[in-house]
Amino acid sequence: MDFRSLFTRKSKTSDIATQRLKLVLTQDRFDINEEKMKKLQFELTQVLAKYFQFTMNSVSMSLKQDGNSYVLMADIPCGRLNPDR
Amino acid sequence: MGKVIVITSGKGGVGKTTSTANIGTALALIGKTVAIIDADVGLRNLDVVMGLESRVVFTSMDVIDKRCELEKALVKDRRVEDLMLLAASQRNRKDDIKPEQMKDICERLKEDYEYVLVDSPAGIEQGFHNAAAGADEAIIITTPDVSAIRDADRIIGLLQNQGIDLINLILNRLSPKLVRKGNMISKNDVLDILNINLLGIVPEDIGVIASTNKGVPLVHNDSSPGADAYMRIARRMTGQNIPIPEMDEETFFSQILNWFSRKN
Repeated sequence: MDFRSLFTRKSKTSDIATQRLKLVLTQDRFDINEEKMKKLQFELTQVLAKYFQFTMNSVSMSLKQDGNSYVLMADIPCGRLNPDR
Repeated sequence: MGKVIVITSGKGGVGKTTSTANIGTALALIGKTVAIIDADVGLRNLDVVMGLESRVVFTSMDVIDKRCELEKALVKDRRVEDLMLLAASQRNRKDDIKPEQMKDICERLKEDYEYVLVDSPAGIEQGFHNAAAGADEAIIITTPDVSAIRDADRIIGLLQNQGIDLINLILNRLSPKLVRKGNMISKNDVLDILNINLLGIVPEDIGVIASTNKGVPLVHNDSSPGADAYMRIARRMTGQNIPIPEMDEETFFSQILNWFSRKN
């Protein structure tokens, strides 16, 4: 074994594989691709924009596996309530 | 009345046929009556893996076309009692057989045998559907790599759609050394991703090559790690409580290594 490899940070390829698999399986199981996800995100934020003030590109959304089930995670930093509501 | 178990994987080359031959032989070695069906029509291999190629006279196609009786088409194993093989036709294609015909053969075999194992072809087409048609349960074979696991997940979905809920996993060709080095997906990660019951782990065993060369399933050689794994799997299938050994657990040394790589 290369002695230096003891002290340098090397991400494990098994972790990369696991992460990639989780992502690809979520897409397979839900038949949802990046394009569809963006569309969903756009339509969802259209509705939210009626109530809150926020910038579109601060929104992030993803499907995550949580044990047996899936969770749609949306991170939407919102500002003030829209004055006309 | 026995049960029909389809052995499948989606991806090819992960060890379906080797596993079928070994599990079938192992079950027979512990005194069970076993019939194995090769469902890979057109690309049959179970006969050579089991060393029975010279004994095959009739195939499942001959039974379906009523050229011979089912009992007559079964090939007796050379080494173990109560182990039979129904070979696949090499001249026909997978869509020459219909799911109902396969189901009928399975139904008839499980009247006489405790275990009917069906070796499925790779893929998700007609051949797979035929293999799964008569199954009560399924065993999924996967190796710890991205493509095999992805295909296994797809197959699990298809089996569940078909109403097969009893699905067990065999993790094949695991290298504990590579897992410890962080270069192979671990058992726990595979189970976390696929979320099904683990029936057993078969470690990478180069003895498989020699055993296939000779046409003698690994379980006849009692000193190999692969043979041990298949024997334990067979015992678990019969209801014995045999714990699955932790093959990829972290050793003290690998923990220290990981601790170092995390620090920097």
